[in-house]
Amino acid sequence: MQTHNELGDEWMEKVSQVLDAVCLAAQIILECGGETYRAEDTVERMCKGFGVPKVDVLALPTGLMLTLAMGEEKSLTRIVRVHRRSIHLKKLDQCNGVSRKVASGEMNALEALEALEAIKAECKDRKWLMIGASALSASAFAVMLGGFWIEFFIALFCGAAVQFISVLMARHRMPGMISGLITGALTTLLALLGTLVFPGANVEPVISGSIMPLLPGLATTNGIRDTIRGDLVSGGARIMEAILCAIMLAAGIGLVLSMWRGVIG
Amino acid sequence: MSWWMQLIACCVATIAYSALVRLPRKAIAITALIASAGYGIYLLMDQSTMGYFLASLLIGVLCEICARIMKRAATLFMTAAIIPLVPGVGLYRTMRYIVEGNAQMALSTGTATLLGLCGIALALTVSTVLFANLRRIPKKKDGTC
Repeated sequence: MQTHNELGDEWMEKVSQVLDAVCLAAQIILECGGETYRAEDTVERMCKGFGVPKVDVLALPTGLMLTLAMGEEKSLTRIVRVHRRSIHLKKLDQCNGVSRKVASGEMNALEALEALEAIKAECKDRKWLMIGASALSASAFAVMLGGFWIEFFIALFCGAAVQFISVLMARHRMPGMISGLITGALTTLLALLGTLVFPGANVEPVISGSIMPLLPGLATTNGIRDTIRGDLVSGGARIMEAILCAIMLAAGIGLVLSMWRGVIG
Repeated sequence: MSWWMQLIACCVATIAYSALVRLPRKAIAITALIASAGYGIYLLMDQSTMGYFLASLLIGVLCEICARIMKRAATLFMTAAIIPLVPGVGLYRTMRYIVEGNAQMALSTGTATLLGLCGIALALTVSTVLFANLRRIPKKKDGTC
């Protein structure tokens, strides 16, 4: 029987490719808003496809630990830290495609690694398209919640401003909770200023429509789902994140509303 | 406000939101339709807590079915489809009542908002668990498991 010493450098290189590929896949999934069980599942499937005899993986919303057992006495462990989490469904989808190909044996470790690096590097966010999308979604939600043309136009500005300031804060590494507070406050301020410009406008659909895309709807769901599945640590962390996010948004709204009442009312 | 206008607005908003979370193009149209169907149920149920639950259940089941047909992850559809149901109005009203010092209304609105959110989470969990267990049955019959 061969040991890793006899196999030498070539073996080592191959194993490190496998390790790089699975870590990168799991990292992309966690950074792009995938569930933790999806990251764990992907790692296990990919390792099966690469022919790794045994793998243990623990994924958390903030990081990932995995150990590959290669042969009898040799095992490799790696820890990957996940700092920033956002939703990027396209990357998630592409990453799933790669892991499916690896699991069915169509891709080897080096090809998978190259494909995943290409997915991770892809970052052609068209800034104006994003601002436009945010503006349109805010104003359409405002109409959905009972607004009309005036509310539509005010929400257009709110949505654009929210996206603009979010990108700005993400670039300067503002903690997510603080940026929630600021976006909530900014939306409310703009909506209230809008009522000064267009008297008779209803503030409620504007503010509610603008904050709806920011509320942690899916995060709560994922948290509860994780907890029910038995992933207690990630479930608890996600629920905590969702609650804090909602509270921060609400605090931002409340802050501006009460200041506005003090000044105007 | 007529219901069809609300549904069209819901459709447009979901499409715009899908661009924001970079949903792959193929999935956008179907996600918007699912979202409108869910919101329609919510309107039919008179915007009650039960409405949140049933609408989310419909959305969850439709998303899982689409995920099976298109061989994609269900999260892909669910992320954007559930957004119109998120109780943003409830959060705003709660804050307004707190600022106005109307503690009683703030408490009741806040509780309703929280219940709505729990209803959504519960319904999506139920649909996921349902489909996760359905998938296993044919595998066992084939003996490939």
